[in-house]
Amino acid sequence: MTVIFVLVLFSYSQIAFCAALIFQSVSKATCWHGDLCPLPAHHTQLISPYVPYMQAEKVLLEMQDPKKGVKSQPQRLVITTIPHAITVCALYSNSFFPMLSLARQLLNSCSGFLSSEARSFGSMLVALGYIYPLQDHKRLVIKPDASLYRFQTPYFWPTQQWPVEDTDYAIYLAKRNIRKKGILELHEQEQYNRLHKWMNHKWDFIVMQAKEQYRAAKERKKPDRVVFDCQERAYWVVHRPPVRTHTHTHTHTHTHTDSYQTCTTYTGCRLLPRVKSSVSIGALVKYCATYNSHDPFLSKCLPSNPWLTDDVTYWTLNMPNVEIPTKMRVERWTFSFGELLSDPRGRDDFRLFLKKEFSGENLAFWEGCEDLKWGTAVTMREKAEQIYKTFLARGAPRWINIDGKTMEITVSGLRHPHRYVLDAAQTHIYMLMKKVSKHTRSDAQLEQNARNRRPSLSPIILRQQELEQRAKMAASAPVDITQLCRFTTPVSHLAVYSGFTDSPSANASPSLPFVAPTPVCPSPISVALDSNSASERRAEAGEGEAERNPEARAPAGGNVLKSRMALSLRRLLKRGCSPSTMFASLSPKGQAAAGTSRIQPLCPDQPSQAPPRRTGNFFQIKVDIPPECRIYPIESEDEEEENRASSRGGVGAKEIICPWESLTPQNGTG
Amino acid sequence: MDVAASSEESWKTMFPSAVLSLCHMQVVACYRNLASCVGGCTDSLQLRDDLRQTREKAQKLAVSTCQHLTSHLRDKSLPQEQRRELELLWVAFSSSLELLHVDMCKVFSMGDIFCLANTTALVQTGLQGGGSEVAARALSLPDLNQAQTPADGLENQERSAMEKEISQIDHMIDDMEMKVNVLRWMVEPHGPQYAEPLSSTDSASLALLTVDEEQPGHQPLCQRSRIFVFLLLFAVVLVAATLSVCVVFFS
Repeated sequence: MTVIFVLVLFSYSQIAFCAALIFQSVSKATCWHGDLCPLPAHHTQLISPYVPYMQAEKVLLEMQDPKKGVKSQPQRLVITTIPHAITVCALYSNSFFPMLSLARQLLNSCSGFLSSEARSFGSMLVALGYIYPLQDHKRLVIKPDASLYRFQTPYFWPTQQWPVEDTDYAIYLAKRNIRKKGILELHEQEQYNRLHKWMNHKWDFIVMQAKEQYRAAKERKKPDRVVFDCQERAYWVVHRPPVRTHTHTHTHTHTHTDSYQTCTTYTGCRLLPRVKSSVSIGALVKYCATYNSHDPFLSKCLPSNPWLTDDVTYWTLNMPNVEIPTKMRVERWTFSFGELLSDPRGRDDFRLFLKKEFSGENLAFWEGCEDLKWGTAVTMREKAEQIYKTFLARGAPRWINIDGKTMEITVSGLRHPHRYVLDAAQTHIYMLMKKVSKHTRSDAQLEQNARNRRPSLSPIILRQQELEQRAKMAASAPVDITQLCRFTTPVSHLAVYSGFTDSPSANASPSLPFVAPTPVCPSPISVALDSNSASERRAEAGEGEAERNPEARAPAGGNVLKSRMALSLRRLLKRGCSPSTMFASLSPKGQAAAGTSRIQPLCPDQPSQAPPRRTGNFFQIKVDIPPECRIYPIESEDEEEENRASSRGGVGAKEIICPWESLTPQNGTG
Repeated sequence: MDVAASSEESWKTMFPSAVLSLCHMQVVACYRNLASCVGGCTDSLQLRDDLRQTREKAQKLAVSTCQHLTSHLRDKSLPQEQRRELELLWVAFSSSLELLHVDMCKVFSMGDIFCLANTTALVQTGLQGGGSEVAARALSLPDLNQAQTPADGLENQERSAMEKEISQIDHMIDDMEMKVNVLRWMVEPHGPQYAEPLSSTDSASLALLTVDEEQPGHQPLCQRSRIFVFLLLFAVVLVAATLSVCVVFFS
């Protein structure tokens, strides 16, 4: 009986004890401190000015003061107790108030409730990584409850902005994996795999270092080990957050923007075309080597670098509409077609050249497309319509010749015009013009350019002149033949540099029948296709003789070559086709050999054939052409072909000598 | 015979370099562990002294490893396999050297901010113990070259010495890059992607941490302990009830 009674008493005491325990734990759950401050429920306004790290540090250091700073409490875990955990209340408590006034001064904000400010400041501290939450460590927010936080060790502070290395992150992830396999989360796993791929060469080191760090940490006592792990974990949550974590604070944390930026960068990078570095570096080296001598700072420029000597001659000589381009400038045009087009002077010359070839509409179309692309959005529709009416429509005054497919695409795109609707056609025309320029470009002549200086005009006048010129050109579509011929008439004072220099008298010979119909210049329509055979044969004769006697008759040969080439070019541009189709179209006419021989230089894969052509181009010296050069017996085509073929190899090397170089002493300063 | 001789030779070449490299990595890991305490509540002269000693040890090891590896890698007659192994060691050593450099710079700049004279400003990080065990681990490694010089430096002397040492490491890294051309991206590691968990898994600290991880935003204190207490209470109540019933029945 008594035993049972004793037992009953014992059990009741146990009940009481357990109740007391529960009561205590419940009481600890709620924050029953005397200085509990009411926290607002709404989210706070963020303090927008970016708080420099140093100032946050100052505040943090003040918070450490045992008397005036934040009161801390021990964090109770199952096995042990770890000190220095702080609650939000302690953070916002009255003792923090002096710190907050300091913070207010630092932040330069003059209004705001204490609690909202405190909250923003606290959130910022957490987001930056100065304080980390002990529970719910993945979300870096300050919560208005009894959750605990701890100060981060200064080694992990973001103050100095030490670079956050991927190596360290890999070591950290490896360490976590050592502790317990499979503990890594999904995004951490992905990062681990990515790092394993990109830092594969270091992987042995990373694994070994992780093991060593793990072993070193084990030397410490258990509570310290927990603290260390928490610290490191918090550090990596700040600097390598899982993507798309929504933090309540919108403070200017570089981590948040970082992760977003890295995301976009990686997605962008995946879509970029990739080139082998040897290829891209080779291209860079080639570019540098080519342009090295043209850079006024990297190599000497004549007459002198204006930035260094304050002498503006260099700029005067290189103005956009200077009459005579300098040697270096013309050399630049030979680098690529793009260079020629981008230089206004080069473009002018090219325009003139194309006018000679009666294919000026190509350049005009290209310029129109550029205008459309770079113009204002308001004018786009009208411009597109204008271009269509002028160049693309059937029976347009300046109809350009592009293939059917491109035309289809363009016309269908023009129903809803936008900036880039003419891109396909523009590219086509660009490539066409490029092919043309390829074998007319040459080591152009630069003669006594520096000597023929003009007095410099003010930029306003230059601009006016430019506009007038443009208006004139716009007004002069369709191509006015008489105007064209005015350009072709050699201008005496421009002895060194002119466009087409065929004097009417020189062209009167029967060997060049295609200029015969008009005394001044050929009419495109009359020469079109029927008289081709005759003219070509005769032109071939001219070419054959030119090849046989390159230097002596270079100018004449040049003329003939040029005229032959002009013919072929015109044909090429009219048809607007690739060389292969040219082959096909010409072969049935029995001019296959002639066609191929002439067209071959147009193929890009036979550059060796190109140089012989270069001597005849439209950048020529006007010289007296000895009339006897013109008269040659007309030989059979085949013989000429053979001759040409055989002499090509030998002549090719010789023809690189520029004809004008041998004739420069003859020219006066003009 | 030849094979044995060559393998023995390769062993002679590789062994010291490998050992040195491994020791260096250990010391760097210990240094990092100690460095993360600087500025915290356990920061003290003792800690700084430990740091200094660990640092000196790391430097000595670095110098000897560097010499070894450089001399072997510049030897043109090295067989291909050995060269590959040495390159692997080279990459590992240079990475750990970089880690050491970064840690040294961090400690140097933090020493500026956290002066030991003002102990109230040290951050309360929750650490309790010192780092003496870690330092002991670092310093217990065998020293292949010279004996340690037990010096107890004052803080100022230490700062200037530290600056010198940082620049020394800098130069060493530069020198290494100049003298030996190792293409890092060509090096293939031997080890696995995932490090195997070490035999004595740290269950205790694991438990502590997982307790934290399992409670996202719930009540702060241990749910488990409360459940335990409730169960206990329930059991006791049950016992008491049965006993009371017995009492009632039998009396």
